[in-house]
Amino acid sequence: MKAPTPEMNRRFFLRTTGLTLALPLLESLTPRALGNGLALGAQPGNAIAATRPRRMVCVGNMLGFYQPEFFPTQTGRNYALPSLLQPLAPHQNDFTLFSGLDHGIKGGHFAIHSFLSGIRSMDAKSMPEGNISVDQRAAETIGGATRFSSLTLGSQEGLHGGCMMCWTRSGTRVPPISTPKELFRKLFASDNSSDIARSSDQFDLKSSILDAVHGDAKSLTRQLGNRDREKLDEYFTSLRDVEKQIALRRQWAHVPKPPAGIPEPKNTNFVSDLPVLYDLIALALQTDSTRIATLEIGGDFVGGPLGISRDYHSLSHHGQAQDNIDDLLKLEHYQMVQFARFLDKLKSIQDGDRSLLDHTQVLFGSGMGNANAHTNSNLPIILAGGGFPHGEHRAYPTEGYDRVPLSNLYLTMLQQFGVETDRFSVSSGTLRGFGSV
Amino acid sequence: MVARPLRILFLFLLASLLGGASTRAQEQIEAPPFALPEAIQQFLADYCVTCHGPKKQKGERRLDGLSLPVEDHETLLTVQEIIDVLTLGDMPPEEAKVRPPESAVPDIIAHLTQLASAGHERLVSTGGESVLRRLNRREYLNTIGDLFDLNMTMFDPTMSFPRDQTSEHMDNIGDALRTSGHLLAQYLDAADHVVEKALGATRPPPEQTWHFNDNFAQQPELRYAHTRVHDNQFMVLYEGAESVRHEGGYGPILAFAAGVPADGYYEIRVKAEALNRVHPYDPKIFHSDPAQPFRLGIVPGQALVGPLHEPQPIQPQLGEVVVNDGPPAWYTFRVWLDRGFTPRFTFPNGALSIRDTYGKVLRLYNDQFPAEVRDTQGIVQLRAVVMRHGFLPQLRLHEIAIRGPLDALWPTASQQRILGDHACDLPGIRKTLTTFATRAYRRPVQSDEVDRLMQVVTTRIAAGHSPAQALMDGIKAALCSPAFLYLVEPVDAAAPSRELDAYALASRLSYFLWSSMPDEALFAAAADGSLLEPAVLAQHTRRLLASSRADTFVHSFTDAWLNLRNLGDMAPDRSTFPDYYARNLEQSMKQETRLFTRDLLDRNESIIRFLDADYTFANRDLAQLYDQPDAIPGAAAHQFHRLNFPDPRRGGLLGQASVLTVSANGVETSPVTRGVWLLENILGSPPAPPPDDVPAIDPDIRGAKSIREILIKHRDTPACFECHRKIDPPGFALESFDPIGRWRTHYRKNVPIETEGELFNGTAFTDVVGLKRLLLERKDQFAHMFVDRLMTYACGRRMEAIDRAAIDAILHSTAASDYPLADLVAQVALSQPFRTN
Repeated sequence: MKAPTPEMNRRFFLRTTGLTLALPLLESLTPRALGNGLALGAQPGNAIAATRPRRMVCVGNMLGFYQPEFFPTQTGRNYALPSLLQPLAPHQNDFTLFSGLDHGIKGGHFAIHSFLSGIRSMDAKSMPEGNISVDQRAAETIGGATRFSSLTLGSQEGLHGGCMMCWTRSGTRVPPISTPKELFRKLFASDNSSDIARSSDQFDLKSSILDAVHGDAKSLTRQLGNRDREKLDEYFTSLRDVEKQIALRRQWAHVPKPPAGIPEPKNTNFVSDLPVLYDLIALALQTDSTRIATLEIGGDFVGGPLGISRDYHSLSHHGQAQDNIDDLLKLEHYQMVQFARFLDKLKSIQDGDRSLLDHTQVLFGSGMGNANAHTNSNLPIILAGGGFPHGEHRAYPTEGYDRVPLSNLYLTMLQQFGVETDRFSVSSGTLRGFGSV
Repeated sequence: MVARPLRILFLFLLASLLGGASTRAQEQIEAPPFALPEAIQQFLADYCVTCHGPKKQKGERRLDGLSLPVEDHETLLTVQEIIDVLTLGDMPPEEAKVRPPESAVPDIIAHLTQLASAGHERLVSTGGESVLRRLNRREYLNTIGDLFDLNMTMFDPTMSFPRDQTSEHMDNIGDALRTSGHLLAQYLDAADHVVEKALGATRPPPEQTWHFNDNFAQQPELRYAHTRVHDNQFMVLYEGAESVRHEGGYGPILAFAAGVPADGYYEIRVKAEALNRVHPYDPKIFHSDPAQPFRLGIVPGQALVGPLHEPQPIQPQLGEVVVNDGPPAWYTFRVWLDRGFTPRFTFPNGALSIRDTYGKVLRLYNDQFPAEVRDTQGIVQLRAVVMRHGFLPQLRLHEIAIRGPLDALWPTASQQRILGDHACDLPGIRKTLTTFATRAYRRPVQSDEVDRLMQVVTTRIAAGHSPAQALMDGIKAALCSPAFLYLVEPVDAAAPSRELDAYALASRLSYFLWSSMPDEALFAAAADGSLLEPAVLAQHTRRLLASSRADTFVHSFTDAWLNLRNLGDMAPDRSTFPDYYARNLEQSMKQETRLFTRDLLDRNESIIRFLDADYTFANRDLAQLYDQPDAIPGAAAHQFHRLNFPDPRRGGLLGQASVLTVSANGVETSPVTRGVWLLENILGSPPAPPPDDVPAIDPDIRGAKSIREILIKHRDTPACFECHRKIDPPGFALESFDPIGRWRTHYRKNVPIETEGELFNGTAFTDVVGLKRLLLERKDQFAHMFVDRLMTYACGRRMEAIDRAAIDAILHSTAASDYPLADLVAQVALSQPFRTN
């Protein structure tokens, strides 16, 4: 293993279509290269972990995929790949394609936000874990082992609110970071020592403020009626959440951020920046800045940069007109190409004795089934990596008694991630017939 | 699109308001509510329970124990499912031996729908009480501005706040607005920014001047051409703000990229010249209006945020002047700039996209160019050639002189307002915080609250900070307190009437009409309790309404009621509707509706004008959209004038481009979308959403069929027809307007538009004029919907059955004068729901 040299650092370079990191270099990101005593997989102050940690990435879009070109007609192994899956051809044995899975939910655009949770936000109150999404459920178990318990990226908005994929236990949507520059700064922009002192002082101030306003809230409770008190509970929960956040950030403030090895990216537009966001996710996983990431491909994914002037949502209501379908497929194909490129990247990164892809479960799909008909059934679902046996198209029943909840897959994912639980959302168990070696 | 998560069909409301007789075939049977559950249970027992009951549970559904009326979510979902399958004819299945008579099914669907809507109301009810309501983003922003006397033109501490949750399109509904850890973290950061900005200045900024008359490099794309053609001796603007490629739409002074050194007013003098307004080319190449004199604008920019020649998130219009043809002349602006912001010049009525024009101009007018350049290729050379030899319409800025900050106050306005002249010792700090918190919490602060703020102060001093800094930190804490962030309405357990105390009432009134904290006069009326007297309340209501600050009421209310907040979400296709971008129509059409509403308010005119009017307010670009190209002369192009309509096709909301655009999807129109919009926002009777499994019908815009023919299925299927006979006809009448509101008589391929139809009660119309006349007959229904919306917005909660009496009272007292708008607002403020929790 070579120590990092200036020549190697020069080899990290940013192209307009994204980062290019050559395979063998990455193994050389040793503890020394990463900075004072921090190694991959370590708690601040602890020794490097012997086994590599598990990671999870979830990618979703707003309008699903054109089903005739997404779902293969054959099931089992070595199935013929329809046009939208062609970009994934080199990875056919690295992923499993599922058909027939969904959350049994209706609502068209107003239900897609349940993609990672299985519960619509309006129904969250009646569920014991609210409408927590699978990524946030996993993030709850990180406990400060990484600087960021999870990273939520992608479009903030979109039609009827956009994807809105990530939800906390208390029913709030986790707002995503939407640009490469912002994400880069979060991951790599380091504080110097005076900044660190200043940060510490800021944390002290915030803690002091939180104490004061907590007292105000308690005093206020006495003056309110029942309904208002319930509402004020949100404030108390928020206080606790922020206090936890601050405690974590204090802990991490003295740990230097890893070197990026690449210059700060410029923001162009969401479509052109998509590969850059994927690359930053890979870098974030690789530097153990986080082990969980989600990416929402929502409202600012537009056709303009791909030379398509019609509105994406309009095209998704293709009405079987071939020219609409052709344009729609161009937009969807681009998303598949970028996803395939991400899998390439993860596969090319060494992570202990396996590849990063082997240790990362990558879920790809949408909360929208058939956008033309606004259905949320038979969702497009791909699961790659994570150490599962892959290569199959697994088709589950689309009607009748034997329907299988998509949450069963999520439960399987959570257990693979190391979460000790036997249920998630409306799961009836883990996904039968699918599991780790 | 209608955003209704659950079905709400106010059948009874509709039926009772219609009043008149209707043909039996089309009218729902009004069954008395108490009989419904039994009729339904009987139906289920007869036709459903065999397969969905104790013996068999097909599809895992069991219907024999259904508990009616609907009181929980589970039952509501089941009832909706039954409605869906019956409507689509999915149940009973083909092979069922026992089937209900065809005529019985619509009645059962109607009964079930009514149970569902009543159940839904019950489930979302807040018991007619406002739930603790936090300030939304815009209210927070306005309040900060007022609290600190801060100029908020380009300062937005809420930029990273999560989006506000809405209910019925309203963004100020207490139980819908949520607080989260994310938001609270933002509040902490925002408090820091605000206080440091408002109070952190330590010395008065000296007035400075800057002068630029050369080296006007603007952006990389123009560098080659501008250097070669005129050596950067002046700044040149070519295009408006809406181009895609941005070349010469935003002109920064790159030498001044760091911006001004201090917040304040700045005088900006520009020696500007308008060139080639009259040019030899087809105006369509530029998509600009040659009759309009050029206008020069200023927006701020920050180098830190991104390239200065491109749009930025914060770029309010700071000033605009008309630059007449002729030699260069001096123009003076006086604009506010924050520290770090630099002025950028714009050309609001410039070309749509200059980059596309170089090649076109050279190609189409080739012989007007010198022989040696006629074959020029490549954008870099094309620019230079056409700039040098052509006659591109453009604004040239030869000299720019900036001076400021002008007459800067010291201490600053904010510092004077907040810090006063108390000493900076602990007792002095306590006094300052007491005064501040009283204003911030909108009622006298309690001593334990001040104690907690002082605790922050003393902790900071102990950590080594100066008393002045510690005071600022105490103020930050107040900005994160629930007493500031929420509109608190304390409950007096002893008083069953739940009347608001004077302070809570002052806040409610102020946020209703000004979306901000009470001003001094209103606060004083709360302090001495006089605000609780109806006469005083009425007087303050009128006072607030009369102020220009009530514009925020007009903006926010129309954003919510007419869903104009979403104008631009489904942006019109650029190639089909270039004028939408070239002429800044989105901005103008929103402004039109706001001015129209403001005018009704100022003149206390009837809200019936929303249904039909013979005038509107338009600038020249809008007038052209409305087929009155010469109504507003070029010289007055950008001003809004009253525009009279010679015929009744336009006039009222149904003829306003904002409404027509927000109810289309930017590419094509849909009678269903517009029909739903009308039912929802004009008649207040939104239809139930369609069953989820209905395949979407995508109009075929290439073919020879009209949308009417494609939607024939809505009429052929009885279950669909039930709702669509209400939805489609108004939508067909509105087909006369294209996706951005232009009048049309034919679709593409000369397919004529058929606009005739019948309202749900059988009354017929032939076009939008007839539709409006019929709507005028329903003016009481419109007024009812309008008052409901006003009350919802004013009280920050959804209206419920319990509020019916108050709404009716307002309607009765204003019906005779046809519901004048200002009177309605005043009555809302005096109503019982407004004055109680």
